[in-house]
Parts: sequence; C-alpha cells; structure tokens
Amino acid sequence: MLTTIAQAVVNGLLIGGIYALVSIGVTLIFGVVKIVNFAQGEFVMIGMYISFFLAANFGIDPLLSLVISMPVLFVIGVLLQHFLLRRVLALGDMPQIFLTFAMSLLLVNVALLLFTANYRTVQTPYSETAIHFGTLFVPMAKLIAFAVAMVLSGLLWVFLHATDLGKAMRAAAQNRDVAMLMGINPDRVFCVAVGVALALAGAAGSLLMPFYPAYPLVGQVFVLMAFVAVVLGTLGNVTGALIASLMMGVAESLGIQFVGADSGLIVVFAMLLLTLALRPNGLFGGWSR
Amino acid sequence: MQGFISRGGFWVGVLTAVALALPLLVSSAFAIDIFIRILLFAFIGVAWNLMGGYAKQLSLGHAAYFGLGAYTSTILLIRYGVSPWIGMLAGGVVAMLASLPIGALCFRLRGPYFAIATIATAQVLMLLFLKFRDFAWGAEGTTMPNLGDAPLMMQFEGKAPYYYVVLALLAIGLAITYRIERSWMGYYLVAVGEDEDAAEAIGVDALRIKRNIYLISAFLTALAGTFYVQYIYFIDPNTAFSFNVSVEAALVSIVGGIGTLWGPLVGTVLLEATSALLQSWLGGGHGGVQLTVYSLILIGVILCRPSGLIGILTDAYDHVVHAGAARAKEVPLDG
Repeated sequence: MLTTIAQAVVNGLLIGGIYALVSIGVTLIFGVVKIVNFAQGEFVMIGMYISFFLAANFGIDPLLSLVISMPVLFVIGVLLQHFLLRRVLALGDMPQIFLTFAMSLLLVNVALLLFTANYRTVQTPYSETAIHFGTLFVPMAKLIAFAVAMVLSGLLWVFLHATDLGKAMRAAAQNRDVAMLMGINPDRVFCVAVGVALALAGAAGSLLMPFYPAYPLVGQVFVLMAFVAVVLGTLGNVTGALIASLMMGVAESLGIQFVGADSGLIVVFAMLLLTLALRPNGLFGGWSR
Repeated sequence: MQGFISRGGFWVGVLTAVALALPLLVSSAFAIDIFIRILLFAFIGVAWNLMGGYAKQLSLGHAAYFGLGAYTSTILLIRYGVSPWIGMLAGGVVAMLASLPIGALCFRLRGPYFAIATIATAQVLMLLFLKFRDFAWGAEGTTMPNLGDAPLMMQFEGKAPYYYVVLALLAIGLAITYRIERSWMGYYLVAVGEDEDAAEAIGVDALRIKRNIYLISAFLTALAGTFYVQYIYFIDPNTAFSFNVSVEAALVSIVGGIGTLWGPLVGTVLLEATSALLQSWLGGGHGGVQLTVYSLILIGVILCRPSGLIGILTDAYDHVVHAGAARAKEVPLDG
C-alpha cells in the first residue's frame, strides 16, 4: 500500500515537472502582459513536432533538440506579442481570450493539415529504461524531463531576480504605469516575457517527446492541467504555478491510482473548484517577489 | 444599431417569411441539414449571449447545460418512456437547478478566472457522465429508439420538421432577448457588464442579476441539447458535453457581435455557411481546412472589428438608407 502511494507520488511529481513548464509560461504571460494564453498547449505541440522531425530526419536526440526548439519558440513568442497580442492589450478580457483561443484553434488545425492526426513517437536509448530505488520504479526519460524542467524553472527564477531585464519584467508585472515612468520599455519587456513563456512550452514539448506521442491535439492535455495549476497557484505567480503544478501531477496520479484510470482529471478539477470556492484568488497570493 | 432594430419590423417580417419558406424551396437534405445546424448554433449563441454578451460573463462551460438537457430528456425517454417534448422542459429545469450552485461558485470570480472555472464545471460533468455506466450508458453512449414518424415523441420523417422545431426555438430565444433588452433587467445586465463595481455602487444587485440571467441562459441551452440528440439519434458524454459546444456558443456571438440581438445569428450564418461551402468545395478528407478558415475569420474579426460584424451590416444599411434619403432631397451630404 505504502509502496503504491509512493510510486503514484513519484509518477505524479515527474509529470508535474512538465505541467510546471507549461503553467509557468501561462502565468508569466498573465503576470506581465495580463493575457490568459489559451494557445499555450499548442506551443508545446509545436515543440514536440520540432523535436520529432529533427529526430526523424536528422537523428537528433529530442533532448539535444531543446537548443533548437526553445529559440525557435522564443522567436515565435516575440512575433506573436509584437504582431497580435499587442493589438488587443487595451480591449479587455473577451477579445484577448478569444484571440488566443482562435490561435489555438488555428494551430491545431494547421497541424492537422500538415502532419495529419497520426501519433508520432520517437524511440531513444533511454525511452524504455528505468531506475529502481528499492521498490520504486522511475522511468529514465521522465526523470530526465523532470530534472531539466526543474533546472529551467530555476534559471527562470535567476533571470527574473538577478538580471535587469528580469527585474524590469517583474516591475512591469507589478505596476505597468510606474514601470514605464521608471524608463522601462513595456513593448520590449512584453515581447521577452511572451518569448520566454513560449520557449518554456517548446522545452516541455522536446522533453515530452521521448515518452509521449505528438499529435495535433496533444496540447489540450497539458493546457487544461496548466490552467488548473495556474489558478491554484494564483494567476501571475511563477513560484505558485510551479508548486501547484507538482501538486496537480501528484493529485492526478493518486486519482488514477485510487479512483480509477479515467478519474485523474476529476480529482484535479474537483481540487480546482474546491480551491475557487474557498480561496478565489488561489493558494499563493500575488506575484512572487 | 438602433436604426436596424426600430426599422426592423419590416425586415424581421421578410426574414421570417424566408425562413419559413426555405424548406419548401430547397429540397436537398444536405442543405437543410446545414440550415438546421445554423439555426441550432444561432440559438445556442443567443442563449450564451444573454450571459456572455449582455452581462459580459465569459462562460466557456455552456456545454454543461447542453449536456444536462440532452441527458435528462434521453434518460426520461429511454428509461421511462417520457416524450422528449416534456423531457426538454425537464432538462431545462435540471439545467436551471444546476446553474444555481455553479453560479454561486463561479460568480465570485472575474474575467479569466470565471472562464476557467466554467470550463472546469463542464469537464467535471462530462467526466461524471463517463463514469455513470449503469445509469447513463457511460462512454459508449446510446442510440435513440427509432419510433418512425412520431411527432409527439419529437421524431419526424425527413428533415424539414426538425428545421421548424429549431426555427421555433431560435424565435423564442430572440423574443426573450428582445424583451430582456428592453426591460430593467436588460439595463442592469449591461450596467453589470460594463462595470460591476460601479453598478453595485448605484444599487444594482449584481449577484442576483447574474444569477437570474444564468438561469434563463442555462434553460435555453438545455433545450438545444435535447433537440440536438433527438436530431442526431445518438448521445454520449463527448457529444453532449463537447467543449466545442461551449466554444461555438461564444464564437458565433463574438463574430456576429456580443450583446446585440442579432449578433449570434449573423455570426453563425457567416461561420457555418463558410464551413459548409468549404466542405462542399473540398469534399471530405481535408480535415482541418474548415476550422483553419474559421479561426482565421475569428482572428480577423477580433483584430479589425472587435465589436463584431453586425456593426458592418448596420453601418452599410444606414449608409444606403441615408445616401438614398440625401439624394432624394438633393441635399449635399456635407451641407
């Protein structure tokens, strides 16, 4: 029994690392640009396809293709902010949500046109291997993904706290007008924020590729979890999103283990609704300082 | 805008006449199927628009009520032999009852939080119905019993009767919207939508207004759910609680123009007609083209005309009428 619980917790934490990359991206965009990006999952999908095609055509390991998928998605993010999101900043919730929503719909269907609905997988030397800690069973590919996800989250934290650009981003998130008065160029900060968020989604895609199939709708799995995590962790709070993502992963995994294979999401959504009922602003308060 | 509606009597008459005559003029079952879809989604859009358009409560979970309506009438029909006409109203009542706790939970949230919470409620219901295997057929779903031509059981031969049923639903939805738009409730709704805090400050009970409009919106959406499963003769949780229903309800309103009487209808006609045309040009097998075009239209509308396409129509109408009037009087426009 104890082993079963421990195993479920480990499985949950490992996948929670991936949820964290996606939800940190969502929360970063919301914190800085004040837009909820419903298309974040689709950028995970793009990251997966980049890694898939690099692996299928050039034999590049998905973990190595991280250094390609992240910059590519960073550039997409900058362009996205510059050409699309910037134009709806003043329009209020509804056009913003629907713009990102339409982008999600667009990307899914373009992917469907270009790549068909087939599942694409990449086999790596570590896809099938696992490490055993006593009775615990830890798949190698997931462990690597988790470790890289945690390193990237750590780097983001350092970026936000130790660089001028990162500090400018946090300043713009706290109070856009005052930040502008201090000489911060909001356009540039916004572009970088969206770029970084998409780069994280791309990283999540590449990290998933060794153990998860790529298909056009794959992003929806992750974006739903990310939304729950982001709301639990308080929209705009990076550390909150990270902790909540790991919690979500564990909750989902325990739900699958003890309620039924199709019940992971019920547990997660029940947690969301309960949290919203008890603490409408999430568990962690405002933007992490 | 005002002009379009006050001079509207005549045009509403023309529109009604055309709508009533359409199945007599068009015999193609394919075309009538498209008309039915247009009217159905326009109706769902109208129901959504009361909440999302007038009160600006961005719900992305209306599939919850669509599904409850669909399941209530189907369970009553198959388990107890109750006519779907009664089941439809029962479904509406179930949806209203469900909207109370859902509203109590979600109305404390604003903007994106509200949208995400409503998505979650619809998803939870879908997941629950996937689990109700004995009671509601689980993931496999079930087909409707085929009773042949049985109007009392909401089953008809041919598609035309379904067309008139959904046309009547849409007419009811539009009439309700029209009445609400011109009532105190309508003004309160718009006030809450514009600025909830300011509305509360001048004495509008925002929570009560939102709860009341949610009841109406949920009731109407449930009627659409019953109609849809009766029309396609099949129900399963993925159809009944499809996220696409929630999205379509909102999209047609946004494209047409939220918070306007005719917006959802205009939006649905444009989107469904485009997708139907694409489908007939390209045939099947081009999965994705339809929704690609769909999303491009949406992006275009949001960037170029965030208030929706209905504005273009009314502007064009005013332009034609005023230009005509000006020519008749021979008064220079800039004079």
